[in-house]
Amino acid sequence: AGVLAAHKITASSPDTDLPTVSGLRKMGVNFTVSNKDTVKSSDVLFLAVKPPIIPFILEEVGPDIEARHIVVSCAAGVTISSIEKKLSAFCPTPKVIRCMTNTPVIVREGATVYATGTHADVEDGKLLEQLMASVGFCTEVEEDLIDAVTGLSGSGPAYAFTALDALADGGVKMGLPRRLAVRLGAQALLGAAKMLLESEQHPGQLKDNVCSPGGATIHALHFLESGGFRSLLINAVEASCIRTRELQHVADQEKISPAAIKKTLLDKVKLESPSLSVASASKVSLFTSKSSSS
Amino acid sequence: VASGGGVAVPSPAAMEAAELQVGFVGAGRMAGGLARGLLRAGKVPAGSILASAPSDKNLDAWRESGCRTTHCNLEVLQESTLVFLATKPHVLPGVLQEIRPAVGPHHIIVSLVAGVTLQTLQRVLPAGTKVLRLMPNLPCVVQAGAMVFARGSGVGDNEATLLKSLLSSCGLCEEIPESYINIHTGLSGSGVAYVYLFAEALAEGAVKMGMPGSLASRIAAQTLLGAAKMMLETGEHPAKLRGDVCTPGGTTIHALHQLEKGALRATVMSAVEAATNRARDMAED
Repeated sequence: AGVLAAHKITASSPDTDLPTVSGLRKMGVNFTVSNKDTVKSSDVLFLAVKPPIIPFILEEVGPDIEARHIVVSCAAGVTISSIEKKLSAFCPTPKVIRCMTNTPVIVREGATVYATGTHADVEDGKLLEQLMASVGFCTEVEEDLIDAVTGLSGSGPAYAFTALDALADGGVKMGLPRRLAVRLGAQALLGAAKMLLESEQHPGQLKDNVCSPGGATIHALHFLESGGFRSLLINAVEASCIRTRELQHVADQEKISPAAIKKTLLDKVKLESPSLSVASASKVSLFTSKSSSS
Repeated sequence: VASGGGVAVPSPAAMEAAELQVGFVGAGRMAGGLARGLLRAGKVPAGSILASAPSDKNLDAWRESGCRTTHCNLEVLQESTLVFLATKPHVLPGVLQEIRPAVGPHHIIVSLVAGVTLQTLQRVLPAGTKVLRLMPNLPCVVQAGAMVFARGSGVGDNEATLLKSLLSSCGLCEEIPESYINIHTGLSGSGVAYVYLFAEALAEGAVKMGMPGSLASRIAAQTLLGAAKMMLETGEHPAKLRGDVCTPGGTTIHALHQLEKGALRATVMSAVEAATNRARDMAED
């Protein structure tokens, strides 16, 4: 989007074999295997690890977090308060923003929401909003809505891909070549989404506008309704949202089995954070160290 | 043009509805509903209505309302300008033969008989007779009917306008192409029954949750009435009105999810389809 020059971006990962790593390198992004280096050279820090890893990362980089840092967590289900609690052991007023985005940021059609933490200023939120608005839609919400957003637009692209795959199958069944079917299906959804976003009308009205009496479309819609199409989508959003809350609950318990993290990462974390103690095989408690008094 | 009774009948277009002589051949439930609607709306005085039926069974109620009755179908044609044919389908052919001699260019014949096409009617009646087909529904009785009519080849704008203005006293009245009549049956003729079913189910849900049945029933009916009224008065899309009721995470959206899980929409669509198809099949019998 041209909002940030590549050399101003630093990314780190312990695993350098990931395809994303070479992609980032090609873009001119600074790459390092040291999380600490990333923190030191950044003002806005995106935590883009899986939710169970967040506590580890926070423990690792905590000492290097300074007042200037804006810590943005994109981890599904991880609450602002859990992050603030962890970081306040190292920094009295950590600026934390929680955000939920989705994969189409890649094509600058992302859907992003964010909620600001206790010590994040209005300008911090606006800075994030400016960054994320360059790759799609971005708006601020109350934190308690973020799980629902995850269910809807976080997971949403997966629902769309599934629908598109099936639509293409339908096209192929009726005689279209696969490539054409995929292309047309995707364009149909893209066009419909664009119409809805640009229109004042309710989607129900827009649907009606396509359905000529006794025509092809209304016959097709009847099939969709018979299959409970709408309720399936409602179920999906609900399931994703509920699962997100479950993940948060698991993370909040701050207990994680070693099986959830690759051994290499666990060893690495132990190396860099001697204050972290690892309990016996069945579970690892993160907060047995001196920092647990926060 | 003089009718059999020696009374000169001016052209319908020049007539006020109040002067109109209205006849019903057949005095069953649907005819009764229409007549009752016209009377309640004050559009036609009871004395201007003449109904015929083979027995007195149906006619008593008409007389009680102040309408005139007879056992002679021909008399209805002779006394009336606007004549509603409201017999059962299997009876109609005989009735048409019977009244044919008395049908004149001043008559406006409106058939309520299910499944009998304008083509059939025009074939049997004298050439050029003004014939229309009307499909009402029962709530005409309480002046909240939904009626559609289609005009035959002899019908001009005047007659159509007259009929529409008269029947609007019984509810919604729209002119349509004849091909929509069977659809109207599936949607609204039979549709009234779907609504009763839904109302019953709503009330039953309330009873399950602890409300007395008769109260639940009245509230269910009022809910349907109110929702329908909002649709008609705001003209807004029902999907939008539905959204307006749904607070995020609230009771309504939870309930709607249950309805969607039950594929209510598809089932209702299928019901309308089934009734329409049946109407079409019956018409060909």
